[in-house]
Amino acid sequence: MPARDPAVLRIALLAIATALVAALALGLGAGGWDWQLIVALRAPRVAAAAGVGSLLALAGLALQVLLRNPLADPYVLGHSTGASVGALAALLLGVQLWMGAATGALVAGLALLWLARPALAAADDASPRLILLGAMLASVFGAIATLMLALVPDQRLRGAIFWMVGDLSGADASLWNLAGAVLFAAWLWARGRSVDRLMLGADAAWLLGEPVRRLRLELLVFASLAVGMAVATSGAIGFVGLVVAQGWRLAGVLRTRELALLSVLSGAALLMAADLAARLVVAPLELPVGAVMALIGAPCFIWFLARGVK
Amino acid sequence: MTAFPLLETRALSVRAAGRALVERLDWRVHAGERWCVIGRNGAGKSLVLRALAGLGVPERAGDVLWRGRAQQDWPVGAAAAVRALMPQQAQDRFALTVERTLALSQVVASSDAHRASELMTALDIAALAPRRADQLSGGERQRVALAQCAMQGAALMLLDEPVSFQDPAHQQLVGRWLVGAASGERAWVASAHDPSWIARVATHVLALPGDGRWQAGPVDAILSAPVLEQTYGCAWRSVEGAWLPA
Repeated sequence: MPARDPAVLRIALLAIATALVAALALGLGAGGWDWQLIVALRAPRVAAAAGVGSLLALAGLALQVLLRNPLADPYVLGHSTGASVGALAALLLGVQLWMGAATGALVAGLALLWLARPALAAADDASPRLILLGAMLASVFGAIATLMLALVPDQRLRGAIFWMVGDLSGADASLWNLAGAVLFAAWLWARGRSVDRLMLGADAAWLLGEPVRRLRLELLVFASLAVGMAVATSGAIGFVGLVVAQGWRLAGVLRTRELALLSVLSGAALLMAADLAARLVVAPLELPVGAVMALIGAPCFIWFLARGVK
Repeated sequence: MTAFPLLETRALSVRAAGRALVERLDWRVHAGERWCVIGRNGAGKSLVLRALAGLGVPERAGDVLWRGRAQQDWPVGAAAAVRALMPQQAQDRFALTVERTLALSQVVASSDAHRASELMTALDIAALAPRRADQLSGGERQRVALAQCAMQGAALMLLDEPVSFQDPAHQQLVGRWLVGAASGERAWVASAHDPSWIARVATHVLALPGDGRWQAGPVDAILSAPVLEQTYGCAWRSVEGAWLPA
């Protein structure tokens, strides 16, 4: 099929570009080319950035379909701050961090779905309402997280910047994130046609024979797990899902299968590049990568919203 | 299979906001029949079509059967091969192309590889194939929605106002296509407003005055001055085969 060729080419080129970014991220930085430094310090951080970026890009893609809103992003709609609250609660209770974060993200997702029912069912474009609801939800969870940090001074808890903006310094080298992202992408690939049909609307997908309820629940659970794992690693980094998925849509990619593969690669590349910038721009000082990502993502979001992109 | 009507309702009642729109509707649609549903704005045509398709409505009672089997007993995948619904308002939040939308809408496998392109030609949307949903006019979007519904390949098509935005030429074109679309094992039910168009296109009419009453029968029996008057609340006269509100 000739229609496949540009897709394969796109993915191949992107894979090369991602490998290039990874090489740069490993090679550049304070201390220069030092093999031991690279293996001991940079590699874990680059792997963490790649994993978190992939997870967040896929979570954004899933939420966009779930909420039928091209501007959906786990950070903008409060899932990430919900995960932060869950992670803090897990730390205080002595439960696994990522489990608490995933639960927090799930609670935030369910709350948004419940609050946004009228907006989701509306025939008109309810994007602004949905985004306002999500932003307010993010504020509520943000306030709870701040209160928890203020009221429970605890050495184990990381600072407010980590939970509110996201930071990769000191992230553990975990290949779980990358493995999770691959699994998530494989699921999206397997469900590709069904997820594509969900983009036509919940009623339309149901009429076409899709098990809409189960599909939406799966999307929510996968997105929450992904956000939970990402937040447990790096705190609440925003806009990766928005920039990546919406960027590829604007480039004309509309199939979920292709978007899933592209999201894994570009999410990883984007966050590795953002982290590289965070390390290099004001070296030897380091910026929190979440702030760099917000400087890239928030203007994109404003541009998308102002243009009314679909 | 053919022993059962494609669609049957038993004492189907649909209410909205405490108002009875249709009460105890007992009605059958057989293969080969072309039904038009008439009624004033807000009489409940769309809600009845939604209920017939199995989608949620505020309040309903009674049964809807597809091919003799209650609609809630159909697995969601099998139901898609029996009935399709064209909603009045498509909800496109993602700007998919017409071509892609049609490809996603196919349910019943077709041996005909050119079905989509034939359908697009028949409904005069072939030139729109690469266009995105948000680049279409209201009438174009309506014909795309009709093609989407037809692509599904279901035996029964439920169409909510398939020609309300069509110019006179395209009303004719869609009407001619609809006459051919109810051949063999197939049938459709469409809400529409213009009695003259209905007289040319439909074999049967279901009249819903919106107060719970209903009347169903062959087009010649229902499209009469008294029934139209009861349905729309204004007088009607027939001038050389065309129905005009007096």
